Amino acid sequence: MDSYQIDEDPMLAVESVIGGNVYQHSRVKQWNSSVTEQCLSQLSKLGKPFKYIVNCIIMQKTGAGLQTACACFWDNSTDGNCAVKWENESMYCIVTVFGMAI
Amino acid sequence: MAGKAGMWSLVKERVQKKNIAARRKDSTVRTKDSISTVSCLDELHHDDNTRMAITMENTYQMGPYKRFSVAAVTDILEDVLTSYLQEERYEGEWSQKMTKTICEVIRARVKDLMIPRYKIIILVHIGQITGQSMQMDSRCLWDKSNDTTASYSFKNRSLFGVATVYAVYFE
Repeated sequence: MDSYQIDEDPMLAVESVIGGNVYQHSRVKQWNSSVTEQCLSQLSKLGKPFKYIVNCIIMQKTGAGLQTACACFWDNSTDGNCAVKWENESMYCIVTVFGMAI
Repeated sequence: MAGKAGMWSLVKERVQKKNIAARRKDSTVRTKDSISTVSCLDELHHDDNTRMAITMENTYQMGPYKRFSVAAVTDILEDVLTSYLQEERYEGEWSQKMTKTICEVIRARVKDLMIPRYKIIILVHIGQITGQSMQMDSRCLWDKSNDTTASYSFKNRSLFGVATVYAVYFE
């Protein structure tokens, strides 16, 4: 499996969708859907025998703290995850991708 | 095959390096409000066993004999989140440990349900409430008839907690 593609796809998806924008409450839902859909379609194009879960959080920057953790019960040798963090002046975006072998 | 075992650790390294590089690039643009830090991208026990993938014998099983119970898991999430976060205030260090603890507690309790052939992923987010707005979204590419998800969100005056469980059937 081409490991270098896994972290680039979410980054590119986020850049293309919310690139230079300022956080807008009315548009964030649409951005979120676009980012997750783009990530998922890029992952499915890889054509690997994996099931994917893409999770995206977009949060406005107000100085608030956010902690995220994940625990998994799976096969360590075939399954894995990748977290990508992106930010601009007005918001944070965290995309987590989980891949499980069929 | 051997490459697969180290794949995710390689990816992790690259993500961390990219994040550091991105932050260095952006250091000239200072935000007045907040400084972001990737405090820890640590995974417990992740790189311990880099063993080869095991090929299983065919069981000729067409589907899961025991389905994943969404209601039971939602109850577990509600129970755990409420008991751990009820009267708490958000604090950086404490909430970091609490997120990990809650994750592990939920994982142990869902494992106790003993639903065979299901892989479980638990995601927990704890955040501070300062009037900010946020949106959480997730999409899955899986088998709709067998795989499912359960989630619960909790809120008090100073923090919010969201827990999500994904259950993926292993064919």
